Amino acid sequence: MAGRVETTEPVGKSVPRIDAYEKVTGAVQYVDDIPFGPNLLYGKFVRSPYAHALIKSINTSKALALPGVKAVVTGKEVPNRIGLYLKDRFVFPLDRVRWIGEPVAGVIAINEEIAEEAAKLVEVEYEELPAVFDPREAIKPDAPLIHPDLGKYEVVPFIFPEPGTNISEHFKLRKGDVDSAWSQCAAIVEDDFFVPQIQHVPIEPHCAVARWDKDGTVTLWAASQSPFAQRDLIAQSLDIPHGNLRVIAPYVGGGFGGKAGVSIEANVVAMSRAVPGYPVKVRMTREEEFLGTNVRQSCAAHYKIGCDKDGNLLAYECQYYFGGGAYNEYGVNITRAAGYSCTGPYDVPNVKGDSYCVYTNTQVGSAMRGFGMPEIHWGLEQMMDRLAEKIGMDKAEFRRRNCVRPGDKILTGMTMPQVDLVKCIDLVTKAINWDKKDKPSAPHKKRGKGIAIMWKAPAMPPNPGSQAIVRFNEDASVNVFVGGQEIGQGTFTVMAQMAAETLGVPYEWVRITANPVDTKYSPYEWQTVASRLTWSMGNAVKAAAEDARQKILQVVAEYWKEDPKDLDIKNGVVVSYKSEREQSLKKMVVYGLPNENYEGWQGGPIVGSGKFMPTYVTGLDPETGQGTRAVVHYTVGAQAVDIEVDTETGQIEVLKIASAYDVGKAINPDLVMTQIEGGAVHGLSAAYEGFYFDERGKLINNSLVDYKIATVMDIPKEIHGDIVETPLEDGPWGARGVGEHVMVQTAPAIANAISDAVGVRINTLPLSAEKVYLAMMKK
Amino acid sequence: MLHEITLTVNGEQRTVAVKSHHTLLKVLREQLGITSPKIGCENGECGACTVLMNGKAVNSCLVLAVEADGAVIETVENLSKEGELHPLQQAFVEHNAIQCGFCTPGMIMSAKGLLDRNPHPTVDEVKEALAGNLCRCTGYIRIVDAVMDVAKKGDA
Amino acid sequence: MQPFDYYKPKTFEEAFDYLTLPGKTVFPLAGATDFIPSYRDGVWQADAVCDIKALPGVRDLRETPEGLWVGACVLMSELARSPLVRAHWEVLAQGAEVVGSEQVRNRATIGGNMCTASPCADTPPPLYVLDAVVVLKSKAGERRVPVTEFFTFVRKTVVQKGELVTGVIIPKPPAGTVGEYHKLSRRQGCDLSLVSVAVLAAPRNGGYDWRIALGAVAPTPIRVPDAEAILSKGWDAASIDEAAKAAEKTAKPITDVRSSDVYRYEMVRNLTRRAVRSVAEKLKK
Ligand SMILES: Cc1cc2nc3c(=O)[nH]c(=O)nc-3n(C[C@H](O)[C@H](O)[C@H](O)COP(=O)(O)OP(=O)(O)OC[C@H]3O[C@@H](n4cnc5c(N)ncnc54)[C@H](O)[C@@H]3O)c2cc1C
Ligand code: FES
Ligand code: FES
Repeated sequence: MAGRVETTEPVGKSVPRIDAYEKVTGAVQYVDDIPFGPNLLYGKFVRSPYAHALIKSINTSKALALPGVKAVVTGKEVPNRIGLYLKDRFVFPLDRVRWIGEPVAGVIAINEEIAEEAAKLVEVEYEELPAVFDPREAIKPDAPLIHPDLGKYEVVPFIFPEPGTNISEHFKLRKGDVDSAWSQCAAIVEDDFFVPQIQHVPIEPHCAVARWDKDGTVTLWAASQSPFAQRDLIAQSLDIPHGNLRVIAPYVGGGFGGKAGVSIEANVVAMSRAVPGYPVKVRMTREEEFLGTNVRQSCAAHYKIGCDKDGNLLAYECQYYFGGGAYNEYGVNITRAAGYSCTGPYDVPNVKGDSYCVYTNTQVGSAMRGFGMPEIHWGLEQMMDRLAEKIGMDKAEFRRRNCVRPGDKILTGMTMPQVDLVKCIDLVTKAINWDKKDKPSAPHKKRGKGIAIMWKAPAMPPNPGSQAIVRFNEDASVNVFVGGQEIGQGTFTVMAQMAAETLGVPYEWVRITANPVDTKYSPYEWQTVASRLTWSMGNAVKAAAEDARQKILQVVAEYWKEDPKDLDIKNGVVVSYKSEREQSLKKMVVYGLPNENYEGWQGGPIVGSGKFMPTYVTGLDPETGQGTRAVVHYTVGAQAVDIEVDTETGQIEVLKIASAYDVGKAINPDLVMTQIEGGAVHGLSAAYEGFYFDERGKLINNSLVDYKIATVMDIPKEIHGDIVETPLEDGPWGARGVGEHVMVQTAPAIANAISDAVGVRINTLPLSAEKVYLAMMKK
Repeated sequence: MLHEITLTVNGEQRTVAVKSHHTLLKVLREQLGITSPKIGCENGECGACTVLMNGKAVNSCLVLAVEADGAVIETVENLSKEGELHPLQQAFVEHNAIQCGFCTPGMIMSAKGLLDRNPHPTVDEVKEALAGNLCRCTGYIRIVDAVMDVAKKGDA
Repeated sequence: MQPFDYYKPKTFEEAFDYLTLPGKTVFPLAGATDFIPSYRDGVWQADAVCDIKALPGVRDLRETPEGLWVGACVLMSELARSPLVRAHWEVLAQGAEVVGSEQVRNRATIGGNMCTASPCADTPPPLYVLDAVVVLKSKAGERRVPVTEFFTFVRKTVVQKGELVTGVIIPKPPAGTVGEYHKLSRRQGCDLSLVSVAVLAAPRNGGYDWRIALGAVAPTPIRVPDAEAILSKGWDAASIDEAAKAAEKTAKPITDVRSSDVYRYEMVRNLTRRAVRSVAEKLKK
């Protein structure tokens, strides 16, 4: 550590990322980089060619006869259900397939080519059934029923499926009296919006390796945001004692929710049981990644919103129909989150909201950055613009007037915790020169500005926990053990900062021991989702560090015969404010301190542990969605964009995106900025993304050739970011999460700017140059 | 069909027997133990597998290993020498131009390919050179800034 | 990826033997940027590939008395950066520089771009307006085909089994020739053309001989004789509009996952107008 920079009191400072060096040198190992030696076997899925069909029979004999094939695993071998909130899927389907691309069997062979070849030789006989793809069709009484057994599935107490229909969750929000409020409205807007399925497109595709040892211990190596949740769900499903299932998850090459929960991992574990002792690797090709792993749900939304003549929102009615895909085990909670946050960040006295999760014969809808919020903000943030237009009010002012403020009794009856959304609006409008009409750069171009605001709560069960351990080494360097995952967001860096700050040691002394996260050794962490780590895991790390600190102070206090209250740790040295004595942490944190004349010793290796779990979230009334505390907290933010539309092509150039988010406290301001920048581009890109299907429900753009994400040439000329810091009551140093929020409202901000520039409204995503051009033509 | 090929990988001559249909990416990763080129699409679309082949950036997923017989291949593993980061690596660290890191090796190799032939590129030239490298995390601006930083210092 | 064999001949004789191995499907292999994705996808099935990059002359890029010789295996990045090409055949360099990404351009060859015969390929429209001639070779000898007769349909050309494209010859346009290649795609970086337009104006008898070719809006690239005739008479604003409309009439785009035919028709007109205008601007200078 000598000669290196040492950063004391690092919280609030933009220290360099702790994982940067290993990432720029190519030293980092992702799952696919781990060597397994010549015993490694390769697995390949056999996929359904039908969107909805009964499986009549599966004949594996031809595949098994191919030299090099070790086993073929089908649903028969693993008749077990799995699911996070609703156990609605089998590991491999038993009797029915529900989307084109669903894995029906897994083939294991000595190399990838043979596995691929053998997968083609598995003969599956199907009886095709009518299929349904659009949630608006799937809720009709005569729609084909995708889960006839819905009533039998195990479900958590806060999710409400409607057996006999395709509705896997119906969340109801009732506040005030909407019906009588309409007559008091000076302006009402009403319209429909649609958001198609899109995908996370992490650059690292899903990859998992599993080995089922003969003694019954099972190891899963996975590109995973959820090693502990995967252990829990797979152990339950496959009847493995939790202690026998070890999930090892190294750095993740991009997650965005796509690697949360379970996707291919249970299948790979089930396959490995057929070849005891051999590791089996299954890596998704990019085409399979699109076809066969999780996606963001589609959403059809209907809004009716009204305000008085001064622009005060009076009534808000909405129906959200999420196209949840074939299995909604995770998606039901997205729908619930969209339900209890259905008004967006607005304070409205009368609300009637219905949020439905609907089975469809498409890819499985699951967690994605924003978790329901991008889907509902797309429509609602355009509707707010239209309402403001209707009563002739400035759109930023309209939002300032109506947005949530701390202390408001919000739609669920919960009291709004600390946030400053008005400040976010002020900052982005200033950054973008909101009031100034700028000239376009060419005669065939039109310039426009748009604004959109957002909120999002961490959407999760009421009680997800975090655990951390802090352990000192001889030189007083510290290992912080956590079970949260580094997926690029910078969480390891932030945890190291928090630990260092609490312990009173320089940032550079801290190592994060979590690569890989290993359920056998790592402390517990529910999942790396919901932008919850800075807050929840941060609280656990802070508690663990405080525990270790107290233990050190105790030892030194006894050694000096002083009161621990008079002692502190500064820059790796225990100091007494009273006696002004000093004691370096080096050595003593492991070996302790000797008594006078070496008559015995005190202390010993220092270890601190800590945990955090929110204990205050309450249930909500199933008929009204009302309750004391629906969620732990909300993060809010605003974005404003300045764009130019090419009227000859419909192409949009985003000149500037300005973002402001209230993060409570920026533990590492530059890392917050990287989220803001990356999120703005992700949001921009997502506005142009969408799945396209043929009439049979087959995904047509299942490759990067036709599913386009933004390149470096597509980014805005300028991305501006402002950080607002209104402390969160129970956040470490006041911090709350921001990882997902940064892309939630980019698409509607752009849509609002398009309307400003050329006067057309686009209600259906994706945006495309074609759509904008044709809309301008129609006008 | 098997072919014995000899290529120079990160300064070392290596002789390996490769199958006709195996790509350079696969052989680097599975036979030569060089895992910084990543598998992102195997279709030339993502750039995660970018290496320098005879000094030029190529997608190693679109090169058959046997085609690389006699070639000089460089990957990001070769850039830092004696614990010192290459200026591009240093700039990526300083600018926080890394998040998940999966695109980073390919990104740095594309940047190196550019700076080796054009040490003082414009911002537009940098963007052109990196357009084949997808990054889902960073939003790219810091990557461009990092490369421009090195270009301005001219010590690549 | 399923197995196949690989051969790398040094002479054409050897190459023709490999390409005509009885009972085998043997693909010529140049940059492999079309071959590997199409083979992986199962769109193309092959028993073997015959790497043609070591054959004599196929990597040459030089001026000859007949014009520019571009060997079949000349790379997109070489075309885009060649001062010779930039000086006299600028529109070809413009086409080459918008193919894929830098990594793709460092492998992709002009021969491969032509032989794949994708309607949205970016070098054929420039070759159309430059009146290029394709040189083919087989056991039976050499033959030459004007580029406008080379493509027969989507992914189909006049190339016979056992035959190779060895290169293209591009006549040198008269001094003062101006060309432009415009490409419209969904995304700015590394994307295929939805519509593309190559425009060339070459001085002739005190006026200009205009040539226009469209890409991605018909099974093969197409020239637009009506628009060319209009412009060769004059290129005031009204004529440019008329020529753009003529281009729209000539195009026969389809609807696919990338865009609708309706939009493509519109874009043929607007892009042609834009490309012609920028050529006109250059002529005025
Ligand atoms: C990510 C990506 C982006 C792309 N973007 C574009 C783009 O924007 N614009 C565009 O036009 N193209 C694009 N392409 C397609 C491709 O790069 C070009 O078509 C390229 O020029 C093909 O050349 P190649 O040398 O790689 O061909 P190969 O893949 O080697 O061969 C292609 C086909 O032509 C045959 N062939 C090759 N050479 C000869 C010859 N001399 N004689 C006879 N047959 C021959 C082969 O047998 C094969 O059937 C892209 C490709 C990728 C992977
Ligand atoms: S893996 Fe080679 S470009 Fe994506
Ligand atoms: S840092 Fe994650 S893809 Fe670039």
